[in-house]
Amino acid sequence: MAPALCAICKTGRALIKRPKNHTKLCKSCFINIFEDEVHHTITSSQLFYPGEKVAIGASGGKDSTVLASVLKTLNERHGYGLELVLLSIDEGIKGYRDDSLETVKKNAVEYDMPLLVVGYDELYGWTMDQVVETIGKKGNCTYCGVFRRQALDRGAKMLGIRHVVTGHNADDVAETVLMNLLRGDLSRLSRSTSIVTGDNKSEVKRSKPLKYSYEKEIVLYAHHKKLEYFSTECIYSPEAFRGSARTLIKQLERVRPSAILDIVRSGEDMARLVPGESASSCGGCKSKTETPVAAPEDDAGGCGSSNGRNPGGEMAAMDKQLRENEEAEGLEVDITKLVLESKNRQKEKQRDSATKNGGGNPKPTTRQVLGKCQRCGYMSSQDTCQACTLLEGLNKNRPQIQI
Amino acid sequence: MESQPVAGSLTRPCIKCRAQEATLDSRSQTVCRDCFAKFISNKCIKQIGILGKEIRTPQGSTRRYLLGLSLGVSSTVLLHLLSENVEFQLARSRAAPFELTVVYVDSSCLFTPRSPDDSDEDKPDPITAETLEQLRQRYPRFTFQRVPLATALGLRTIDWSTIPGLTAAPSPSPSQTTRLLSLFDHLPSAAARADILHILTRHLLVSSAQTAGCHALLLGHSTTALAELTLSETAKGRGFALPWQINDGPLSVASYPASVPPASLLVYHPLRDILRKELAIYTALTSPPLTPASPSHGAGNNGSIEMTPRPGVVVSHKDVSIDDVMFRYFAEIEGNYPSVVANVARTTGKLLRLLGGGEADGEPKQGLCGLCGLCGMPRDEVGDRRWRGELGIGEGEKGGGLCYGCERSTRG
Repeated sequence: MAPALCAICKTGRALIKRPKNHTKLCKSCFINIFEDEVHHTITSSQLFYPGEKVAIGASGGKDSTVLASVLKTLNERHGYGLELVLLSIDEGIKGYRDDSLETVKKNAVEYDMPLLVVGYDELYGWTMDQVVETIGKKGNCTYCGVFRRQALDRGAKMLGIRHVVTGHNADDVAETVLMNLLRGDLSRLSRSTSIVTGDNKSEVKRSKPLKYSYEKEIVLYAHHKKLEYFSTECIYSPEAFRGSARTLIKQLERVRPSAILDIVRSGEDMARLVPGESASSCGGCKSKTETPVAAPEDDAGGCGSSNGRNPGGEMAAMDKQLRENEEAEGLEVDITKLVLESKNRQKEKQRDSATKNGGGNPKPTTRQVLGKCQRCGYMSSQDTCQACTLLEGLNKNRPQIQI
Repeated sequence: MESQPVAGSLTRPCIKCRAQEATLDSRSQTVCRDCFAKFISNKCIKQIGILGKEIRTPQGSTRRYLLGLSLGVSSTVLLHLLSENVEFQLARSRAAPFELTVVYVDSSCLFTPRSPDDSDEDKPDPITAETLEQLRQRYPRFTFQRVPLATALGLRTIDWSTIPGLTAAPSPSPSQTTRLLSLFDHLPSAAARADILHILTRHLLVSSAQTAGCHALLLGHSTTALAELTLSETAKGRGFALPWQINDGPLSVASYPASVPPASLLVYHPLRDILRKELAIYTALTSPPLTPASPSHGAGNNGSIEMTPRPGVVVSHKDVSIDDVMFRYFAEIEGNYPSVVANVARTTGKLLRLLGGGEADGEPKQGLCGLCGLCGMPRDEVGDRRWRGELGIGEGEKGGGLCYGCERSTRG
C-alpha cells in the first residue's frame, strides 16, 4: 500500500493525523498550519502592538514551552516587533521546582530570550517552605494557589512589563466552560472564555494565544520540533469539578474531535447571554461597549484548590449546600407575591409584558463588581484581594523578631 | 403527631403522612408510595398550571396541548400524569382542563435493516405499534397519532436547500424513506445522525402541534434530561440557542420558502423539576404499572438515542453520539449528586434569549434572517462573524443559513 500523501502539500508523506479534525498531514505542513492558526488568533484578536514588551509565563511545561517557541517563530516571521521575556515563578519549595526551572533556563538559552525568575519570597515575603513551617502541611495548597494566580502579574509589574501571555490551551478553556456549567457559576462562565483578561487600562493584562490550540496538537508540535519540556503534572489531585469536566471532554473528543472547539465556541456565545454581562470573547475588537474585563482569578489552572485532596469532596459539598437551600426555600413565604395577588389587574399587566418579551427573559442576576485590592492594587471583587488577606494572617503569626 | 396513633405501629413511618410504611427515598426523606406519587404529580401539575395561565381561551373552548411521546420513561409518565389530572377534574364534575393529542414519531426505519424492495414503505414497528395501541386503550380520552420520521421531509419548517445530503440529486422519484435514509447516510458521523434525528423529531412534533391547532407542545424532559441537553448542546456548539431549548416559553417557527413571518408556539417541559430516577420509580407505582420501552429502542425527544449499529459493524466510539456520552455521564452524577444536576438546569434557565447574537430587545425579529434553516433555533450572527475562517475550520465555506452546530452536524 502506497503511503498516504499530505492533504495540504500533496507531496510529503502524511505522518500525522491532526487531532483537531483528523486530516492527514506531513510533518512540515502540520508545523506550518499550527503556527498559522496561532498567528490567526493573534492577529484577529489584535493581541499585541509593535514594540510591546511581553512576558511569557514559563513553567517549563509543554504549553508554555510551545508558546515560547511559537511566539519566537511568529515574531520573527511576521515582524510583530515584540520584546519577549520568559517569566518564571519560584514557589520556594526545595527539590520541587528545581527541575522545571532547569528546563526553562535551557529554553532561555535556546530561544535567546532573557529569563526572569521571581520568587514567592520577593513577591510576598514568604517562600512556600516557610508557609508550611508556619501553618503546617494541611491547607497550604490554598496559599500556594492564591499566590500563584497573582504571582505572574505581580512579577510582571515588578519588572515593568504590562502584558503576560500564558499557555492555556483549548482543552483548558473547554474544561472551564463545562465546569462552570456544572457548578452553575454564570458570572465565571461569562468571563472564562475571553482571550484577554484585564484591559489596556489595567496594570497588567493577560492573554492566551493558544486558546484555540488542542492540547494534543501542542504535544505533537513539541515532539516534532524536538522541544524540551518538563512534565509538570500537578502533584495534587485536581478539583472535583475540573476533574469531572476533564474526563467528560476526553470522551467527547473521542466521539467528535471538533467537540473541544465547539465547546469553546458555545462558551464564547453564552458569555453574551449572561444577564448583566456585556462580555465579548474578542479582546481586541472594537466593540461599542467596554473591553471585557475578566478577573484573572478565574483563569483556568489545574492546581490550586484546597478541596482537591479528596476527589468528589467538592461536588458532594456543593450537593449538600444546594439541598439545604432547597429545604430552606420551602419554608419561605413570598410576601411580595401575596401582595401582588390582591392587585389582580396589575398582575395581568405584568404578564402581558412578559409574553411580549420573547419568552420572558429572567431578571438580571446580581453580578460581582470588579474593583482593585486596596493594598496591592491587584484586581479583586473584594476590598482586599485573597492574597493580601492570606498574607495578613500569615504575618500576624510571624515572630516579632523579624521586624 | 399524637393524633395519628397508627404511626406507632409502623417500623418506619412515612415522614409526610405518618400513616403508612415508608418504603421509598425521596430527596433524602423516607416516604410511602402514595406520598411519593403525590410529590411527583404535584411537581408536574404545578407546571401545567403555569402553562394554563399563559393561555387565554375564549369562553367555552378548551386549551389544546400536544404531547411528544417517545415511549420512554419520562414521556410515558407525563402521559399518565396528564391523564390523572384530567380524570381528577372530571371526577369533580368540572370541565377537562385541556384536550390532548399524543404524537409518537416513529424512527424505526433508521434502526431496522433495509429490505431490498421498499414497497413496504412506512411499515410501523410491530412492538411500538402494540405499545401505542395499549396506551390508546388505557387513555381513551386522548387522541393518539403515529408519525413516520420520513414525513419530516415534507415539512416546510425546515429550509431543505441548506442540507447537503438532499441537494445531491437522488435517484428519480425515490420514496420518502429512501430519501431519508440517504440523508442519514450522508451525515458525517454517528454523533451527527443522532443530532439530526433529534432535530427532525422535534420539527415533526412542532408542526403536528401547529396542524392540530394546539396552544402548546409538551415535552417529557426531566431535570436530568435538561441538564444533559445543556451540556450536549454546548458540546455541539449550540450554546447560543440553549435558552431557547431549555426554557419554557414561546418559540418562533419558520416556514419555507420564507413568505410569511414565523409563527409562535409555546413549548413546555412539565417534568422539569423531577429527576429521571424519580420518574423511573414512579412507573412502578401506578396501577397497572407503566411499561415504557427501553430508552435504546426507537428515538424520542428525551433520553438517549443509541443508534443501533447495522449488523456486522463493531461497536466503537465511532458509533457513540454526544448525547450517549452525556446520558452516561449524568446517570452517574444523578446517582451521587442529584442537586448538582438540578442546579445545571436551573442556572441555564437564567441565560437570556437573544436573537441574531445582538441586543436583547426581546422583540421577535421579522423575517427569517435570525433562524437556522435546520434546527430552527435563532442563529448567532455576532459569533458567526467572529468565527468566520477561524483556525482552519470552515475556512472558505460560505455560511448557508445554518447555525454553527447544524453546520458541524451536516458537514463535519
